[in-house]
Amino acid sequence: MSKYEYIPEPALVKGNHDFASITKLVTDVNLRPTPRNWYLAMLPANALLGLLLVSIGYLIWEGTGVWGLNNPVGWGWAIINFVWWVGIGHAGTLISAILFLFRQDWRTAINRFAEAMTIFAVMCAGVFPAIHVGRIWVIYWVFPVPNQMAMWPNFNSPLLWDVFAVSTYFTVSLLFWYVGLVPDLATLRDKATDKIRKVAYGLFALGWTGSSRAWWNYEKAYMILAGLATPLVLSVHTIVSFDFAVSMIPGWHTTIFPPYFVAGAIFSGFAMVLTLMIVARKIYGMKDIMTDDHMEKMNIIIMVTGSMVGFAYMMEFFIAWYSGVEYEKAIFMLRATGPYAWAYWIMMFCNVISPQVFWFKKLRRSVGFTFFISIVVNIGMWFERFVITVTSLSTDYLPSSWDYYSPTAWDVLTYVGTFGLFFTMFLLFLRFLPMIAIAEVKLVMPQGDPHNYDDETQEYHPHVEEVPQPKAVKA
Amino acid sequence: MAQIFPKWTNQVPRLILVGLIVTVNVVILGVWYFFSPEYTDVGYAPEQPVPYSHQIHVDKLGLDCQYCHTSVWDSKQANIPPTQTCMNCHNQIKTDSEKLAPIRESWETGKAVEWVRVHNLADYAYFNHAAHVNVGVGCESCHGRIDKMEVVYQAEPLSMSWCLDCHREPEKYLRPVEEVTTMGYEVEDQLTIGAELVRKNNVSPPQYCQGCHY
Amino acid sequence: MSELTQKTYWKSLNELAQNKEYEKFVEREFPENATELSDGFSRKGFLRVMGASIALAGFAACRRPVQKILPYSKQPEDIVPGIPLFYASAMPFQGNLTGLVVENHEGRPTKVEGNDLHPASGGNTNAYHQASILEMYDPDRSKYPVRNGAKSSTADFHSFVADYFADTNKRVAFISEANSSPTYNGLKEEALNRFDNAEWVTYEPFGEDNSIEGNNIAFGRRVRTHYNFTNADIIVSLDDDFLAPTHPNNVEYAKQVTSRRKVTSQQDTMNRIYSVENGFTITGSYADHRMRVKASEMADFANALAATLSSRISGLNSFSSVNNKFTGSEFITVLADDLASNSGRSAVSLGFDYAPEVHAVVAAINSALDNYGTAINLLQVPHFDNQNNKTAFANLVSSISDGNFDAVVMIGANPALTAPADLNFTQALSGADEVFHLSTYNDETAKTASWHVARSHYLEAWGDGYSFGGARAVIQPQIQPLHDSLSEIEFLGAITNAGKVSGYDMVRETFSSFYSRNFENRWLDILHDGIDVTNGFSTVNRSARNVSPAPSTAINEIEVVIKPDNSVYDGRFANLGWLQELPDPITKITWDNVALLSPATAESLGIGTEDYLGKAKQPVLNIAVNGTPIKLAAWVQPGHADDSITVHTGYGREGIGRVADVSSESSQLFDPETTSGGVNVYPIRTSSSMLFAQAGVSVTGEKYSIACVQDHHSLEGRDMYRQATLAKYKEKADYASFESIHKYAVPGMKEAAELGEDQPISLFNEQTAVEGEPQWGMAIDLNACFGCGVCIIACQSENNIPVIGKREVERGRELHWIRNDRYYMGDKENPQAVHQPVPCMHCELAPCEQVCPVAATTHSDDGMNQMTYNRCIGTRYCANNCPFKVRRFNFFNYPKEYLTSGEDPDIIQMAMNPEVTVRFRGVMEKCTYCVQRVNREKISAKIETGSPKPADGTVQTACQQACPADAIYFGDLTDENSEVTKMKRNERNYLMLEELNVRPRTSYIAKLTNPNPALVKETNEEYAH
Repeated sequence: MSKYEYIPEPALVKGNHDFASITKLVTDVNLRPTPRNWYLAMLPANALLGLLLVSIGYLIWEGTGVWGLNNPVGWGWAIINFVWWVGIGHAGTLISAILFLFRQDWRTAINRFAEAMTIFAVMCAGVFPAIHVGRIWVIYWVFPVPNQMAMWPNFNSPLLWDVFAVSTYFTVSLLFWYVGLVPDLATLRDKATDKIRKVAYGLFALGWTGSSRAWWNYEKAYMILAGLATPLVLSVHTIVSFDFAVSMIPGWHTTIFPPYFVAGAIFSGFAMVLTLMIVARKIYGMKDIMTDDHMEKMNIIIMVTGSMVGFAYMMEFFIAWYSGVEYEKAIFMLRATGPYAWAYWIMMFCNVISPQVFWFKKLRRSVGFTFFISIVVNIGMWFERFVITVTSLSTDYLPSSWDYYSPTAWDVLTYVGTFGLFFTMFLLFLRFLPMIAIAEVKLVMPQGDPHNYDDETQEYHPHVEEVPQPKAVKA
Repeated sequence: MAQIFPKWTNQVPRLILVGLIVTVNVVILGVWYFFSPEYTDVGYAPEQPVPYSHQIHVDKLGLDCQYCHTSVWDSKQANIPPTQTCMNCHNQIKTDSEKLAPIRESWETGKAVEWVRVHNLADYAYFNHAAHVNVGVGCESCHGRIDKMEVVYQAEPLSMSWCLDCHREPEKYLRPVEEVTTMGYEVEDQLTIGAELVRKNNVSPPQYCQGCHY
Repeated sequence: MSELTQKTYWKSLNELAQNKEYEKFVEREFPENATELSDGFSRKGFLRVMGASIALAGFAACRRPVQKILPYSKQPEDIVPGIPLFYASAMPFQGNLTGLVVENHEGRPTKVEGNDLHPASGGNTNAYHQASILEMYDPDRSKYPVRNGAKSSTADFHSFVADYFADTNKRVAFISEANSSPTYNGLKEEALNRFDNAEWVTYEPFGEDNSIEGNNIAFGRRVRTHYNFTNADIIVSLDDDFLAPTHPNNVEYAKQVTSRRKVTSQQDTMNRIYSVENGFTITGSYADHRMRVKASEMADFANALAATLSSRISGLNSFSSVNNKFTGSEFITVLADDLASNSGRSAVSLGFDYAPEVHAVVAAINSALDNYGTAINLLQVPHFDNQNNKTAFANLVSSISDGNFDAVVMIGANPALTAPADLNFTQALSGADEVFHLSTYNDETAKTASWHVARSHYLEAWGDGYSFGGARAVIQPQIQPLHDSLSEIEFLGAITNAGKVSGYDMVRETFSSFYSRNFENRWLDILHDGIDVTNGFSTVNRSARNVSPAPSTAINEIEVVIKPDNSVYDGRFANLGWLQELPDPITKITWDNVALLSPATAESLGIGTEDYLGKAKQPVLNIAVNGTPIKLAAWVQPGHADDSITVHTGYGREGIGRVADVSSESSQLFDPETTSGGVNVYPIRTSSSMLFAQAGVSVTGEKYSIACVQDHHSLEGRDMYRQATLAKYKEKADYASFESIHKYAVPGMKEAAELGEDQPISLFNEQTAVEGEPQWGMAIDLNACFGCGVCIIACQSENNIPVIGKREVERGRELHWIRNDRYYMGDKENPQAVHQPVPCMHCELAPCEQVCPVAATTHSDDGMNQMTYNRCIGTRYCANNCPFKVRRFNFFNYPKEYLTSGEDPDIIQMAMNPEVTVRFRGVMEKCTYCVQRVNREKISAKIETGSPKPADGTVQTACQQACPADAIYFGDLTDENSEVTKMKRNERNYLMLEELNVRPRTSYIAKLTNPNPALVKETNEEYAH
């Protein structure tokens, strides 16, 4: 018998699907009448959204003092949540843009979904820099607008870079997402039976005809945007990390921050995608498209990025010791043993230890387990932001100024509220937009391959893999 | 398949694009113009308890600014004159004028005349008259041709950029200290004279924040 | 909007001012600053509207608020609107005057400074003087006389006393607080002559009575001990905290003591200070040697010291037999040697409240060392009563309760709160049928009086008096009384002459009696200089009689020691937010009093002493003195004597005012849950335990949260604070330089040297000093600073810093622009406590400036780090990036809370400095080097000389001007000969966190200690409380 055995790449779409069934599977979700459960989910989401609005209102009415901030610690949960959400917002564009450029076909199953998540996450992130300032009514001063004071913003300030970085990222992601949506919107338009849907989808389908010219433009646009988005994936969190790295507080003033923040961002982003995907595919029966193979691939990415983050942690410690700067040394000792040690070790466990289990194939492919870890990872990443932001400030140079920071109810409520915003948007997305890039998925199906179509017989022959017969080897 | 949209809708995207550009610009220009002190403050001429006419007193009668606004050389404030000052003349002249009733009343009761403030600098800005007049910034430069004003109004925007215009290029506006109170001061080679004055009085107007804000 | 802005300030004042005098005054002197304040209003109003609705902001900005300008009707000669005037006056405290100069803006006093012509001030002040301005404007002050609980008027009071005291056979008991006023004491004589059956007692809860009695034992005369520490090489303080504001002469003493520790070259010498005490006092923290001794054992210690000395010098033979736990101890032997070898050039002092017998012993020691005439003077004080006032008071109270008096007249004192508990003072008063009481607040005593009369503040009324050292001065009012009130002399005058006499006439009359010829001119000089004669008291030259050892009072179990509080004293300052929020110099606690005890004692009581950051609550102790318990939160105080607990008076008052009250209405500033005026400890202070008593101490289950502004007390081995012994300095002058501490050069210096630069290389653009502009800098002499904290209050007063309340301090949001860090160093049980004032460093390469997104904090041409409030959007990034953590944030609308709460907010607004912006919610603020003063001087210099560089010394920051130790130097660094440049050239000068290369403009002059070689132990290992 043969020494070699050929194992073909697992099919990206499981089950016996053809184009029609795929289209049906995805579009039905949007076209059928709204299920009761959707409303049941929307209810708590809206409640939380309301909570967000209330806590912001109260904050603006009373002043920043309603949060737990104090003298050494000028940045608390607001900034932590900002960085955390932005981090989560990384997976989408990474999956759609970078994996696209690398021709990773498996991305098609999840990119639409991940991009949506990205956009909503960035929205949540955007809330915080806006509301954390003391006088939100003059926040427009950060924009370079001509004014009677003849004053410009200070372009040295990383916070200002943030303003531009995040808004650019958001705009490009949104465009990228929308362009990808156009063909599918057209599909929905055509499948829609009632006038309203027809018009609504029609409007956004931009009169898509499916002509080869349309496709040609589409491909180009998509490619260009992918090219634009790719550097942004790296730049955004790099610049967010500058907020800390450019300052001179021990534990912040570190050159390792940009790569380490980006790795962390991808890490948390993928975790969040998994969390949502596992739930969504169950509810909407998309197991055939979002398969366990996808899950496994993402788990591997999580494991890798998790290890990168872990490496960064150790590097920080080493450099702190190696630099010989006493304040640098002190802050890292304090993180591990000081008043905030509890937070530090939670972070260590969630981010470094927990992903290591994915070395085991069995666990990589276990749905329940993956779901659990994905949550753990997101908790861990939140604590990473916490440890970085708070510990450095609360125990910096002058021991006399050291103080302990603890959040108030309003800190917590505001954070919880952003989930309201996130899930409200996400539910709307699931309900009204195709959660899977129909056109793209079709492309990666065997049927999408023109070589499988017999022009004469007008028939479709499933592709048969030619297994090369090796020559027998003499003993 | 039936068309959902009529043909003309093909134009819509272009129209939206153009419309957007236009409106954005209109808004920006609108704010730029209508929200500026130039528009909101210049020309502010409130009615005063006593219809005091600078035109008559300065232009016709030729009173010097300092006759009334005495502290301008020593203090940050150019004081509104005490009732006393008015009475110096008006216990002789127009002693029974209706318009002067409030002045006489104030003189008798000792209660202040409630003048309405015209030149009101933006909040948080500290302005010092002495510092300016002593290096030859003319009254006129900020208050306009008071001598031509029947009712005093705000002649200049008094906005930060307006202040900076002079703080950046004092030579354009300075005049000899003796000429400070002169109205309608004009010289053809202002720049050379100005530059000379800047050197002579060693004028270096602060352009840093706490020159005015503290 | 318009409602906010048109409400002109003096109108609303009118509403509150009933009396004619005041109305006239308001119209005459106030109008001009109507502009100032209505301005202030519009600012706040304007911003508040914006705060309320963002949508509105744009349009709200368009329409200007209408403002009125109210010129004088008849302008006073000397007032030029916009130019502040300075008048001399003096503040009485425990009857001793300190000369002051008061800044007035259009007739409104806004700030007090020291009067350098006045010996008790020498140009400086203490926290009480600084805060007195707030006391005058305190909205909770008593505003009118009260007759049996009903509102009355001074007019009614006058008519009442006129006929009530017409009968001179009335049996009248006078209880007066200490008062050195010659006018007042003249009236006292009159009173005693007029009423045949009158008795007079001077009552001060913490007065110098015992030391006077001690001198009476030693010298047979009731005389005052007045030190001249300038002539003392060796100073021994036996629990005498003469550097603390609680001492009536602390400013003069502080100047004397620190003047002997100003070291500028290796040739200079220093005095040596020994401190023997149970708690940690300011003096103790400034001493070179500190020994922990229970208060109850101080008598033994004094005897032992005398005994040890007796073998070395003559005159103490009566002690040679003494033998107790202290005799032969190393400390006392070394101390005795040091004293004996410095006789005539040393001074031993003892805390006022110790028994007369102990004071006698100390007098004997000083006499034997013949320090009298050199380092110490005995002063014949004319106004001392010829009796032991403590006993006299006790007798008087009992005979009042026996009904031997018709009327009790109390001037100023508040015995209902402060009198020894066992005297039951309040019940005693029921023995009299009329009780008259003059006081600033409607306090505990006032509530028991049938006639309470509001007392005029010293800035409101004429008065006079002597300083502790005998300098005679006039108290010159700066403003007409804000309320319907009387001064002490007006009050007493009304009773004695039974008629209304103006304070001015009385004072003038008194002083005219001092001068036979051309009094007129003299009078003007006195008023102008704020000082008449400096030697009002004659000195007595006597040597002590044969004094016998003081009886031992040792307590073997736990003792509780009752001391006046550094912030609120005996309670009289309890309603002054500034002082309540002033961190205690040693514990750094605000708003509360605690039970201080040593780590060991805490251990034995089972209270943890572990170090933590954060808001852990303190265990509450139950302290019982013969049956009477009080509950007080425990606080572990390193360096405290074991088996000894120190508590402070003045807290836990009720019904005085919003600040002092234990229970207050809910607001940002006064939150019912956390606000607390502390605990009243007077219940355990009895005639037998005026200073200390044996106490039963138990730990209750309860916890109580304390607002402490410093959570961590160890330097963690860091180099922010640098010090060495004088000896070390003499062998290594630059002991404090970065290199000599770290053994390597400042990072970046080598590279700079290669480039030929003298500053470490930097990524950022160098700040270039602008030609012709001054360059401001500050140097703080850690060797002079003893940590009293007057700089904090002076800054608060000058810069309109609001009081934020206990809850906010607890959350770590203190707003003080200059803080005073205190670190413990060395041995855990008996550490050294060091003080380090930290204002904004005004870095040349300021990290804060780089990170502000809207350029709200930038650098000025004269080298200051500017904070532009109206540009700030409040990201707090600058504060995060400040390595010195000196930036402060307005988390709430503190000024609104502070300036507009209470029934008539306008009064407190009058205390604001019109030259400084009132900051709004959501903006960052910090030390500005008092830029308003700098700019004022720069402008006048420019006008006068044509150059914007004021002469050295013309610009003083508020903290610098107030500091009695002259520890702060400020000036132009471009001037080679300015004081500050000289100090910065000194080899002890060092920069905090120099390695960060932010180039602070504020530097420190390293500390020096002068320990006795015989006692030096190397105990410099770090220790974290």
